[in-house]
Amino acid sequence: MASVCMNLSMLGFFKYGNFLLENFQWLLARIDIIYHPPHLDILLPVGISFYTFHSLSYTLDIYRGVLQPTRSLRDFVLAVSFFPQLVAGPIVRAGDFLPQLVRAPRLRLGQVLWGLLLMTLGLFEKIVVADTLLSGSADRIFGYSGPLSALDSWIGVLAFAGQIFFDFAGYSTCAIGAALCLGFHLKDNFRFPYAAIGFSDFWRRWHISLSTFLRDYLYIPLGGNQVRPLRAAINLVIVMFLGGLWHGAAWTFVIWGLLHGSYLVIERVVRVLFENKPWANNFATRALAGFATYGAVCIAWVFFRASDFTVASRMLDGMFGRHAHGDAILSTREILQVAIVTICVIGVHWTLRDSNIETAVTRLPRWVVTTTWALMACAIVLTQGNSNAFIYFQF
Amino acid sequence: MPSSTSSFKNRLRLPRLFFRQPTEAESVHGGPPLEFERPIPPIPWRGITVIVAIIVIAATTAWEIYCRSIGYGPTLNDNEDLWTLVRRKVEPESIVIIGDSRGWYDLDLDELQEALGKRPLQLAGGGMCGYPVLADLANDNNFHGTVICSIAPRLFFAPPGTPPFERGEKVVKRFHNQTPAQRMSEYLAMPLEEHVAFLKQEELTLDDLLKSIPIPNRPRALVPPRLPPYFGTEDRERRSRMIEACADPNGELARMIQKIWIPLFTPPPPPSYIPKEEFMAGIGKAIEQRFADAAVAVEKLRARGGKIVFVRLPVSGGLKQLEDQTTPRAKIWEPLLQRTNAPGIYFEDYPELAGFNCPEWSHLSAGDSVEFTRRLAPHLRTALKM
Repeated sequence: MASVCMNLSMLGFFKYGNFLLENFQWLLARIDIIYHPPHLDILLPVGISFYTFHSLSYTLDIYRGVLQPTRSLRDFVLAVSFFPQLVAGPIVRAGDFLPQLVRAPRLRLGQVLWGLLLMTLGLFEKIVVADTLLSGSADRIFGYSGPLSALDSWIGVLAFAGQIFFDFAGYSTCAIGAALCLGFHLKDNFRFPYAAIGFSDFWRRWHISLSTFLRDYLYIPLGGNQVRPLRAAINLVIVMFLGGLWHGAAWTFVIWGLLHGSYLVIERVVRVLFENKPWANNFATRALAGFATYGAVCIAWVFFRASDFTVASRMLDGMFGRHAHGDAILSTREILQVAIVTICVIGVHWTLRDSNIETAVTRLPRWVVTTTWALMACAIVLTQGNSNAFIYFQF
Repeated sequence: MPSSTSSFKNRLRLPRLFFRQPTEAESVHGGPPLEFERPIPPIPWRGITVIVAIIVIAATTAWEIYCRSIGYGPTLNDNEDLWTLVRRKVEPESIVIIGDSRGWYDLDLDELQEALGKRPLQLAGGGMCGYPVLADLANDNNFHGTVICSIAPRLFFAPPGTPPFERGEKVVKRFHNQTPAQRMSEYLAMPLEEHVAFLKQEELTLDDLLKSIPIPNRPRALVPPRLPPYFGTEDRERRSRMIEACADPNGELARMIQKIWIPLFTPPPPPSYIPKEEFMAGIGKAIEQRFADAAVAVEKLRARGGKIVFVRLPVSGGLKQLEDQTTPRAKIWEPLLQRTNAPGIYFEDYPELAGFNCPEWSHLSAGDSVEFTRRLAPHLRTALKM
């Protein structure tokens, strides 16, 4: 209990201190009490959400009895602060990592080179795709103060949907590759999420380390699926609410989480109603469901990316055609770039949705693997310059 | 009798999952590793890696040769870290040049050193509003030196939130917040940039190459005007010099850049969501505010014994006509000197400074910049009472 409280209070102070004070001030103002809290100029430690969860997983697993306490402080510190995944995940559970420290890691040439290829892939995703091909359009659209045309609004949201995936998946892939080069094995954090059919499927594929953490340490202890449907639905919303809040101390993140919670609840209802229908599993239904899932996820991204609700509402107005004469601010090149990347990412995700990257690399002809690896490395060299920080560093 | 732990758990009414017994595989720290191990694709890794390395080295070399063959040469990238490197050299009595790219290209440090007795530090920059730097120097209590501030009206009076102002803010922010990693990165990058021609962040990046693909835009699209291509080199002191290929006013490069300046220096139309009158009133207010802020900054500097001189450097051709029309001297330059009570040197006022021609309309060639600075120096000494 002490450990959990310590961990959560550190997270609460550093990440949510000002947010809580601001909301407390707002609440007092509703009852005519004017309160000016001191603004805490807190420097948010990079990756605090991640290593807090690493540490929590150790404590909770020991409490649950699924892990024995380690006798080595060195091993514990390494498990909590293993540098490749320290600042932006994936969240590695102590139970997955500590056992790997029993013996000195064995390094094999294939493993190190595969690690290097994964690092190249991760850097390519981040530097070339997220930062070069997508972030400019997303930043311009979300930073524009005027009404936007529907096309520009949608392109901006699609750009962000791609950017956040390639940014975060790129980091995770680099972390997995770097860990492999050092002889450690980290689990996948993404599994082709934009090919998800339904939202529970999406969360089995997106930020897997967070979704399984929330499932095992929050949703199941709340009762999981073993309670009445209404209670299970409330639990889902609670979990997603906290998942949203985990991402940042802002109400926009909360709305993003609540939207995903609502999606999950609606999906359950739809499944109960239509699961046994003969058309429920045919290709057209699955494609339509996949398309609807991607669209709904994109709508939720608006709240994730928007700095406040004014921006979010302006974006949604634009997306749903409420600005009849909205401004067109993207160049044709930017539109094409985002459209091509979006089509490619969805195509690749659908192609590989039931597979994994290791299988794909094994099956591909050698010359394709070689050329792809070389092209990615050349694109990284060509991109040069200062890239943006990883989005998930701020969480 | 139940143990105290289990009764504690019972009181908490925690779900059953918390109490389940660990599986053998789970309770293993101290035992064998878990079965999870990432699969490694069984392919000939050694051969593939060697071929990839050869392709990448060959492609990079070919790209470098190609870039040199079309006129690019190695030069430093002008970024916030290089600026910070120079800013850190500012001492209490330094002479610093601030402002836009005309101050950056047109003033020769050797000539100024000879004339003023001290080597100036170059803090002006391409497309930069000089005000954030001026304000930062004014707020630096250690600084009581001399400021030479280049004024290109549309840049110095750029309102907050516009790219020129943000550029100025960005360098100041980097100076105050530069991390050791950013500093180290610059030290590592400089030797590379000095020897590799394709390392040009403003032009030869993948992003810039994509931007150069000629694809027509939608008729109503509010796309920012393009920036000029590579036409200068920069050294570790941030001294910029125009390359020879641009020094001929009738050359292809100079003419191409001339065409780029016009849309870049033309005031943008009011945004669709702000009425024109309101927008124009906002611009007027922002300019008025800049006069007031500049006066405050100059006064602060002067109160500590610092000096400042504003300089209006040569501009030619269609760009001069545009500037005279959109930012007339009587509305910008004269009130600036009046409000700040600071000396100013306007190139047109002196025959020996007025005869220079900017090949691409906005900057002097490398040779002319030396001669221009030599002729400007006596006026600077007079203005600064040196």
